[in-house]
Amino acid sequence: MVEGTSECDVLVVGGGGAGLRAAIAARHEGARTLLVNKGTYGKSGATVMAGADLTADGRSLRRIGFFGESRDTPEKFLLDIVHQGFNLNNQKLLEIYIRDAGDRLEELLEWGMPVERSDERSIFTSGSAISRALVRWAKSVGVEVASDVMTLELITEDDRVVGALGLDLLTGELVHFRAKAVVLASGGWHKAFYPNAGPRDLSGDGVAMAYRAGAALANMEFITFCCNVILWPPIWQGSVFAYALIMLFGGRLTNKQGDAFLEAYDPDVVRIGTSSEWNKCCVSLASQREVEEGRGSPHGGIYLDNGDIPLEVFDHRVRAVFPGWKYHAADFAPMAAMLRKGERIEVGPAVEYFEGGVAVDEGYGTSIEGLYAAGECATSPFGANRVVAATTEMLVGGAVAGSHAAQYAKCTQPTREPSVEIGRLQREILRPLESRRGVSPAEVRSQVQRLAHSHLGPIRTRDRLEELAGILDSIQKEELLALSTTSKSRCYNKEWVEALELRNIVQLLELSARAALARTESRGVHYRSDFPRTDNDHWLQEIVARKGEDRVEWTSRPVIATCLSPGSGKKPYMDMLKEMMLARSQVGGPH
Amino acid sequence: MGNQRQVKLTLRRYDPQIGERPYDSVYDVPCFQGMSLLNALDFIYEHIDGSLAYCDHAACQHGICGQCTLLVNGKPSLMCQTLVAGDMVVAPLPNRIVVRDLVYVREREKP
Repeated sequence: MVEGTSECDVLVVGGGGAGLRAAIAARHEGARTLLVNKGTYGKSGATVMAGADLTADGRSLRRIGFFGESRDTPEKFLLDIVHQGFNLNNQKLLEIYIRDAGDRLEELLEWGMPVERSDERSIFTSGSAISRALVRWAKSVGVEVASDVMTLELITEDDRVVGALGLDLLTGELVHFRAKAVVLASGGWHKAFYPNAGPRDLSGDGVAMAYRAGAALANMEFITFCCNVILWPPIWQGSVFAYALIMLFGGRLTNKQGDAFLEAYDPDVVRIGTSSEWNKCCVSLASQREVEEGRGSPHGGIYLDNGDIPLEVFDHRVRAVFPGWKYHAADFAPMAAMLRKGERIEVGPAVEYFEGGVAVDEGYGTSIEGLYAAGECATSPFGANRVVAATTEMLVGGAVAGSHAAQYAKCTQPTREPSVEIGRLQREILRPLESRRGVSPAEVRSQVQRLAHSHLGPIRTRDRLEELAGILDSIQKEELLALSTTSKSRCYNKEWVEALELRNIVQLLELSARAALARTESRGVHYRSDFPRTDNDHWLQEIVARKGEDRVEWTSRPVIATCLSPGSGKKPYMDMLKEMMLARSQVGGPH
Repeated sequence: MGNQRQVKLTLRRYDPQIGERPYDSVYDVPCFQGMSLLNALDFIYEHIDGSLAYCDHAACQHGICGQCTLLVNGKPSLMCQTLVAGDMVVAPLPNRIVVRDLVYVREREKP
């Protein structure tokens, strides 16, 4: 039944920054490398959507020729990131991030990435520019590419990965990729939520297939909700343009009654929390509280306007950075007109980044032999709250993962054909096409997305998490087995693709909901209104999930701390937030 | 939302596996202020006809990736950044290989 086969040493799943950098690293080691991309090469995934800044400590930035803060050191950068991550950072991964960041940025410059400006700890470019530089280099070193192919399952033999099964979305053909090593770089699972701030390809395919193959996942409860994402009108929904406006030019957030609700919070928390990426913790939480207490906007958010900045000044500032209020092909000029009429813009928290994922070690290897992971699909060095740039992290992780995968592939023999395994996987893949009638995949997806947004958002409670986990459990046992497509064509069948994505989305949401239930404290982006304290006595632990015989096997492990020992005790979340904010070094800039 | 009304969307359909000739399907879609063509196609796919194919499997939805370019009333336009303001005729870009319905490729090699 498999229509095509393809062979390589290293298979890379995902064509964003992590995947491209992993593929380049594997080629540098001489491995025959195939990059399988769900979308169009160089134009899909979250990387091209990024703003984007790339971060490194000030000293490293100065070394590669940028402004950079001269008083900054790698040690200060590390401490700041650990405070921002509420001490849950894997400090071994973090040391690698800080060690390699400068080199990864330097080579991007050599590969032709333009830079707009730099500040104390970051250089500014665009996601498309990062992607273009990587694509150009990947091409020149001979990375092979398959686009519009969704990777569905990992194939394992004797507990090691020997390839993957993919679906060519355009033809509907199943493709067997035989590989000695696999690097997962498939990004987050934004599609599990509505609204969300991600592109449509991110349905957690890599994380879920790794879980099904037996890999350990960790930190699944930590999900960043970007604040001030546009909720209405629908043409702008999910855009972070409003987030950029308020970060760059200022503005005011108000609730239904017109009250500037942030004024009720600690002034230090508000000052730091609105001028830096800490906003994803505290502004998202404060906004969600307004919504839940009945002071929200019609589409579940709050409002943004120019506040006490005169409109002419605000307009002038915006036009200086976004000429004509345009960002790429999106036209936000009607937003200027709305503000002029005294209307406010509906914005709110929406899912943006996943701190957890496939658990990786210092070599970006997973708990399965031959399987590596990097970028957003892997566990990160950022702990409970990502503040510095994930764009740099994807490059650092990708390079390590790709080169380790290639070295592993060199000393590995090819395996025999695992035919029984493939047959079983295939029957499940084809089921929605073969059943005559059943449940609509889009309907289930839509129901799940809305539930995830309301029950697994910036404010969590036991009742809602239990309700969500229960519904997801029953969807897995009933609806997912009864999914059926309207058309039985295998050519670009949207419902078939959605059915295959839904398995991943529902699985990851359930793991996340159950991890969030287990974590009976509030830390970073995980806030439990029924457990509103950060508990360093019990919860300096990572929660790990593995697939057991017929249920999830849950374990926890102490956080890996190499240079900074976290303190003990319990503290109200807001006090801890303030303490972490104020612990930051005196290095300037938003990071 | 208030000013909700209906618009007619005429979409070019084609399924090479059935070997038929291209034809048009017409859908009535509720239209509201600030609705994009992508929103309208989503509405058709989710509520009227689940067999409709349009290229959104990796769409950025914000005018960045350019993957959702279609011929709208005869003019190349991004689905995600085109406001639905009245009746529309939507087809793949000309001189492309049509995969199915509104999904097309410039050229393609086997993976």
